[in-house]
Amino acid sequence: MNLTHDRKLTTLLFNPFVYIAGAPALGLGLAAILLAGLIGSWGHTHFDGVLDTHIGARAPLGVFLAEGLIDWLCLGLVLLIFGKIISKTSFRTLDLLGTQALARWPTVFISLVSLPKALQRFSQELLEQLTKPGAKIVINPWDALIFFAAMMVMLPLLGWVVALMYKSYSVSCNVKGGKAIGTFIGGLLLAEIMSKVAVYGLLKFT
Amino acid sequence: MKNLPTTCPSCSSKLAVKRLHCEKCETEVEGLYSLPVLASLSHDDQEFILEFIKASGSLKEMAAIFKVSYPTVRNRLDDVILKLKQDAKTK
Repeated sequence: MNLTHDRKLTTLLFNPFVYIAGAPALGLGLAAILLAGLIGSWGHTHFDGVLDTHIGARAPLGVFLAEGLIDWLCLGLVLLIFGKIISKTSFRTLDLLGTQALARWPTVFISLVSLPKALQRFSQELLEQLTKPGAKIVINPWDALIFFAAMMVMLPLLGWVVALMYKSYSVSCNVKGGKAIGTFIGGLLLAEIMSKVAVYGLLKFT
Repeated sequence: MKNLPTTCPSCSSKLAVKRLHCEKCETEVEGLYSLPVLASLSHDDQEFILEFIKASGSLKEMAAIFKVSYPTVRNRLDDVILKLKQDAKTK
């Protein structure tokens, strides 16, 4: 029977939800989100929006952990509503939230890539350029090189996360085609705004 | 045994049964009989339905047997239901 898929590497990387969903996906996904937050706290990497990664500001560990959870919940809840509207069949909330959590697992790599101190120094130098226009600011070329190399790694990783988020939505809600892609893009933008507002509130509160 | 053809190779219309044969006593029955609903499904889909019944309709059990996720099994079942509904509409 075709249901027993060959465990191809591409499927495991880009659509693991064929094999894992529900509570196991939720457990692994939450562990990955918290691990990314923990590593992020060492390199001051903030996931301050569903699609955002910024390096720089120091904050308590709780903020780094909460940011990942806010991003996951915002997109999960928006896609849950969109899925209920467009899906022709019933689906389990646990599957969508679980697979959405697991879709964020490559953020662990993003946190790891952001660890070198050169990235924080270069971010600070860029920030100073913006906040003190005209001031003579020395930029270390090695810091700049490491920063751009890290960006080149981070962008595909972010693309991977988005691809996983879409597959999670498609598999969990059983939606395909233009309607699925359109609502996913709309949901992503809406969740980005929601998460930005929520993270801003969190930072203001702390 | 060969797979049962369900559509006409010439015009793609649904086929009907015209002759039945007893392998034991060689009796042959002729008439015009429609194929069972499930026969219109592919061999894979028929096997899936058979396993679904054997698992007492438990999608969780099906997911465990085939080592896939719950939504994967449920989506497959939804696809089969859709095919059966479309088939019923064309009749």
